[in-house]
Amino acid sequence: MLVGLCPAAAVTGRVIDALWMSLGMAFVLILTSLSRVILHLLLDAPGSAGSGSRESGLLGSRWLGVLFLAACFTASFEVIMGAFAPQESAALGIYVPLLAVNCIVLERLADGSPRRAIQENGARIFRALGAAASRGAAFAVALVLISVVRETLGSGTITLFPLGAFGGTIVVSGISAAPARALLFAGGGFLCLGYLAGLVRLAGRLRNRRPRAAGEAGAQ
Amino acid sequence: MADSTPLTVSPAPHVGGLISSARLNWSLALSLLPASAWGVFLFGFPALQVLAVAAATALVADAAASLAWGRAVLRDGSAAVTGLLIGMLMPPAVPLYVPAAASAFGIIVVKQSFGGLGRNWMNPALGGVVFALFSWADAATRWLPARGTPAGTAAAPLAALRSALAGGAQPTGGVLSALGARGYPWSSLDGRVVSWVNVHVLSAVGLSLPGGVFDLLVGNIPGRIGDVSVPLLMLGAAFLLARRVIRWQVPVAYLASFLVAAQVFGGLPMGRGWFAGAALFQLFCGSVVLGAFFMATDPVTSPLTRGGRVAYGICLGLLTFLLRYFGTPGFGVPLAILLGNCISPLLDKIARPRAASPRKAVVQ
Repeated sequence: MLVGLCPAAAVTGRVIDALWMSLGMAFVLILTSLSRVILHLLLDAPGSAGSGSRESGLLGSRWLGVLFLAACFTASFEVIMGAFAPQESAALGIYVPLLAVNCIVLERLADGSPRRAIQENGARIFRALGAAASRGAAFAVALVLISVVRETLGSGTITLFPLGAFGGTIVVSGISAAPARALLFAGGGFLCLGYLAGLVRLAGRLRNRRPRAAGEAGAQ
Repeated sequence: MADSTPLTVSPAPHVGGLISSARLNWSLALSLLPASAWGVFLFGFPALQVLAVAAATALVADAAASLAWGRAVLRDGSAAVTGLLIGMLMPPAVPLYVPAAASAFGIIVVKQSFGGLGRNWMNPALGGVVFALFSWADAATRWLPARGTPAGTAAAPLAALRSALAGGAQPTGGVLSALGARGYPWSSLDGRVVSWVNVHVLSAVGLSLPGGVFDLLVGNIPGRIGDVSVPLLMLGAAFLLARRVIRWQVPVAYLASFLVAAQVFGGLPMGRGWFAGAALFQLFCGSVVLGAFFMATDPVTSPLTRGGRVAYGICLGLLTFLLRYFGTPGFGVPLAILLGNCISPLLDKIARPRAASPRKAVVQ
């Protein structure tokens, strides 16, 4: 998971950038995942040549296919974002094209057991959709958390969408006069990412500990 | 407890650790006192405030972080020394949140997050200072004038030299004459002492000293609280060396390589050619001496082997030279030592002594 987050740590200096990045991630993940499953069903249907071999198919290697799909959807997201939000697109720069890499990493990591057991086609599609959406959501939560911390402490503001009378930027009084700019450097991103990962591990450990403690109490 | 038992059982590496952590830290604090006291004398109450805030924040942050991580709260003074060093690396007129943030960052992020005392791969004091320098660059250059100089004119000599060079004027003569020609405010006492020496001592030999020599030697210059007085820092360092709290290899290699590099190449950026670098001027301003004796020698983040320490010192000297001449002003020594911290395990690996027992014989 952390490997997928690494390039994204660079764009979490402003909350708005993190939001756009998460949106792009969700877009590419969901569409890649969906079309992968659908293509799989169409091309690798039982009875057709090459069924049963995991690495075969029209596109040769399956990961070559995912690569191709992710690149396509990333490129389309880049074009869409450039049309609707040119400033944010410019702010994100190279990291929008790099979404493809993140998506491939996440797809690769998500390639697990649940898909194998399911035979029914519709269920497979829904499962893929759900998996992609949840991964996109988790990515968004992580990115937005990091960006809120970094932007609040690093520049004393929280930049969001302008909406009606709201100009789009919340100024955190007290910090905005002398923010800790070091957090806006790439190192600050990794620092926040590290602490977030630590918190997640801590939460996991606490969750594991509680039922066990309850069970021991019950045994006694 | 450890002192009363005749045998100490401990895991490797067994490097002459006859000094307990507490004793080491209190020796360090003691050796830093003269130079910090000089800073307080020179800059007055603001300097004392900065030192106190830095040390107090470090102590509180260390205790809080130790509790949060479930470690024992150490009372060996290591956090106090970290805080004191951070305060000494701050300019006297800095807003108080800067030393506080630097101490908190150094202790919580650089030290405790990586496993607490002895496991930090980076010097906590320097990590905190660099964080603060990057974050509040303008606040970290608020100097106070030295004693006997007009108020409101304070600029550290290094920064003044830089701006003098940026003006495009080629300094003729020494660096001090160049500064003097630009109207750098040396103290009135300096003027009296230097002219007395020139008239009564040096005129017989046909030499004369430029203004500022006395101020630089004594440390009566604007600068960071703890780094202005080189003689008092040397005094503290001599105490540490005599008590074998620090080893000589790192500071000697550091200062030697820095001085050689500064003398040989230092004149080039000023357009004065080779071997014209005014190395002694460079030694007396900025925090090279403070860094070389008190921070580069940190036993946790410097190499363990003797050869490694020499190589480490040489790297630090060259890095300091490069960063001071070509980097952002004020970052030279802190960044150089942090970069050195990064390579210090590597240096240990390269300079590892051969195993004492010949393995072949054992195998046969």
